[in-house]
Amino acid sequence: MSDVPTSDPRSAAGEPPAGRRGFSRRRLLAGAGAGTGLVIGAAAGFAGGRASASSASESGGDVVDLDRSYDFYTGTHQAGIQTEPQRYCVYMTFDLGEVTTQDLQVLLARWSAGIAQLMAGQPVGAVEPDRADAVADDTGEAYGLQPSSLTVTVGLGPGVFDERFGLAAKKPTLLADLPALPSDALKPELTGGDLSLQACADDPQVAYHAIRDLARMGRGTVTTRWTVMGFGRASAGKGQQTPRNLMGFKDGTRNIKDAADFDRFVWVGGSENQAWMRGGTYQVVRKIEMNIETWDADRISDQENVFGRTKQEGAPLTGRSEFDTPRFDEKKDGRPVIPATSHIALAAHENNNGIKILRRPYNYTDGINDLGHLDAGLLFICYQNDPGHFIRLQTKLGGSDLLNEYISHVGSGIFAIPPAPKPGHYLAEGLFT
Amino acid sequence: MPTPLRRSPVLAAIAVVSLAALAACGSGSGSKSDSSSAKGSGASRVTISLASGSNGDECQVDTTKVDAGPVTFTIDNKSATAITEVELQSDQKILGERENLAPGLPSTSFTLTLGGGNYTIYCPGASDEDVDFTVTGKAAPTPTGSAATLLAQGTKSYATYVSTQVNAMVTAVKNLQRAVDSGDVAAAQEKYALARPFYEKIESDVEGFVLPGHKPTDNAGNLDYLIDMRASNLDPKVGWHGFHAVERDLFARKAITPSTKKLAAELTRNVQSLAKLSKSLTYKPEDLANGAAGLLEEVQTNKISGEEEKYSHIDLVDFAANVEGAEESFASLKPGLTKIDPGLTKQITQRFAAVDRMLDGYRDAQALGGYERYTPQLKKTDANKLSQTVQALQDPLASIAEKVATAG
Repeated sequence: MSDVPTSDPRSAAGEPPAGRRGFSRRRLLAGAGAGTGLVIGAAAGFAGGRASASSASESGGDVVDLDRSYDFYTGTHQAGIQTEPQRYCVYMTFDLGEVTTQDLQVLLARWSAGIAQLMAGQPVGAVEPDRADAVADDTGEAYGLQPSSLTVTVGLGPGVFDERFGLAAKKPTLLADLPALPSDALKPELTGGDLSLQACADDPQVAYHAIRDLARMGRGTVTTRWTVMGFGRASAGKGQQTPRNLMGFKDGTRNIKDAADFDRFVWVGGSENQAWMRGGTYQVVRKIEMNIETWDADRISDQENVFGRTKQEGAPLTGRSEFDTPRFDEKKDGRPVIPATSHIALAAHENNNGIKILRRPYNYTDGINDLGHLDAGLLFICYQNDPGHFIRLQTKLGGSDLLNEYISHVGSGIFAIPPAPKPGHYLAEGLFT
Repeated sequence: MPTPLRRSPVLAAIAVVSLAALAACGSGSGSKSDSSSAKGSGASRVTISLASGSNGDECQVDTTKVDAGPVTFTIDNKSATAITEVELQSDQKILGERENLAPGLPSTSFTLTLGGGNYTIYCPGASDEDVDFTVTGKAAPTPTGSAATLLAQGTKSYATYVSTQVNAMVTAVKNLQRAVDSGDVAAAQEKYALARPFYEKIESDVEGFVLPGHKPTDNAGNLDYLIDMRASNLDPKVGWHGFHAVERDLFARKAITPSTKKLAAELTRNVQSLAKLSKSLTYKPEDLANGAAGLLEEVQTNKISGEEEKYSHIDLVDFAANVEGAEESFASLKPGLTKIDPGLTKQITQRFAAVDRMLDGYRDAQALGGYERYTPQLKKTDANKLSQTVQALQDPLASIAEKVATAG
């Protein structure tokens, strides 16, 4: 697997990582919610030589170890996709300005080197330079913080392959702007972008610092377009407890978790004619606003019919526990127990020619809107080896999902996610050779 | 050792130094470690390899001793993510450097003519940041065209620019006062717009003056306060004086009162005092660099927000003046800075050009001061573009103070 956690080799050797001198304290976060218990050793596999000092908190098997770090230069898939979802995420898209192909090349190389530093928990240059007139290269707010499982995932939008950069011949066949989909309420200022960065970490300040310093590196080459800060994960990876979205329902119970499904539905395979894209994937992102107040006033039976699941346990309406397989043909009084227009009935792979997508969403809030309502929702991010899979699902959902009364897709983007480079190389290097 | 050039249809922007030099290094002189064999076709060659090793990122230099004369340094970042720049220093002064290094990019090089002596190859971020470098042979005479000499010449031409602007400001403010005294609001508005740019061009140099006999903390003697204070930052003890108090009368009240005339006369006196005091100004290269960065900060903080010219909405006139002042500082440093880092110099030049092009789009010969009025509507639609274009210039411009302060 590509993104197995690794401990910093310098840490394993008993030395603090460069730029973190004198800082060896381990910090562990308690799992969300009540019922936390200490698990000794669960994190030891990540902690290398310092395992003797390790302890971890968990809730429902959900361990957060702020010392955990992931490798950037795996040569296989980028981290932040198959990686167990971290607690927080900052997502930002960028537009390429009046720049040359070389500027884009240098930016992708600088970002690659910078991301490798950041994921290892290291600054991207001096926080306090020696020379009085120097400007610090690293902005400093993550100094002394642990790697916190940071992953930064870089995406290339369709605009990279337009007439500006002479890269049209390198364009993956399946990369194109999403078509207009039913129920779309997209705002131009929350849609599109030539490049995307998804920074996820178990410490929100670590994720924000990564985006800030990478945006800074990009100034002059890219301009910021839109951003969403996700404060809580709304999907589970392997071994993680299924978290809840802001509607209070478990999200991602039937998500892709097994390696075989990743190969079948997520990773772009060897038959892709653009060699640089093999091992990559496609990212679709949607900013989905929720009508929080209206939802909160809805009766429980209706809420459960909207999703097709019970609220507390998350069981399908035809079952008793969360992971029971839903039975969409089960009827009561002549009507399906799970309504045909419920969210899970429309999205289930059984009802979509077996299609699955990897969902990796986060809950977000933007404060209060013009009407005084809570402005919040879901930063929906999904990965698939064919964007057509998302289009097919969303065409159905946007058309008849009972949930549509309570949500609205206001932002959107699609990006090709190249594979991770090997050491000594950079992301999407194949575009320039 | 030198590695063959990566075959790539596009050379990275950072590698545009000299194709010939790159090709020469590609043909390879092998792993030569003594000075004589590292030399060929006129220039000695030194390869600096950046790679991650067991102790972090390392900066490896294949030859640490060469003969006096031209030396080409070729930098190849194989796998060092923590090192993004390399400098050649002598006595803490930067003689040459390359930035934007990252693993996987084509190698880049620079050539310097070095006299005998001890130098340091500085690789910030490496496990061992300093590599001693020796040049044998005759010590070079103090070069007439060194970066430091060129920068010092630049500060002199900049000093001339500042005094020209100060004198022009005194004349323009007198014209404003005359128009105010005549009682013609429209004429006074026009003269106001004509008088504004001069202070904005040189603000970062002249904003520190205090009238004789006043403490630095006393706004009643602070010339910047007395000349350029906006309504949002008033000191109630001292009251409102200067350009923007006149602006309020001319553009918000659209009336000239005895108080307006008093304000205009006082403004003339204060810019005259400023002209006298500013004769004492001297400049180091880093003052120019910091001043230029300061003017762009002014653009971001006060012009794009529309706060500077709250009543007249001629913020774009001030914006253009701030940019002109910054560009003048940069132009004065450019010959010296080119010696140190031609890539960065070119980048900043291009980004000034981008800002100028953008501003050209707002020119309007009919409008006060020659630029479109910066109305709330224009701000809503255009502030993002204005700000991000300036930001792209601001970051590299902020990085030059360090370089010119330590130039050799």
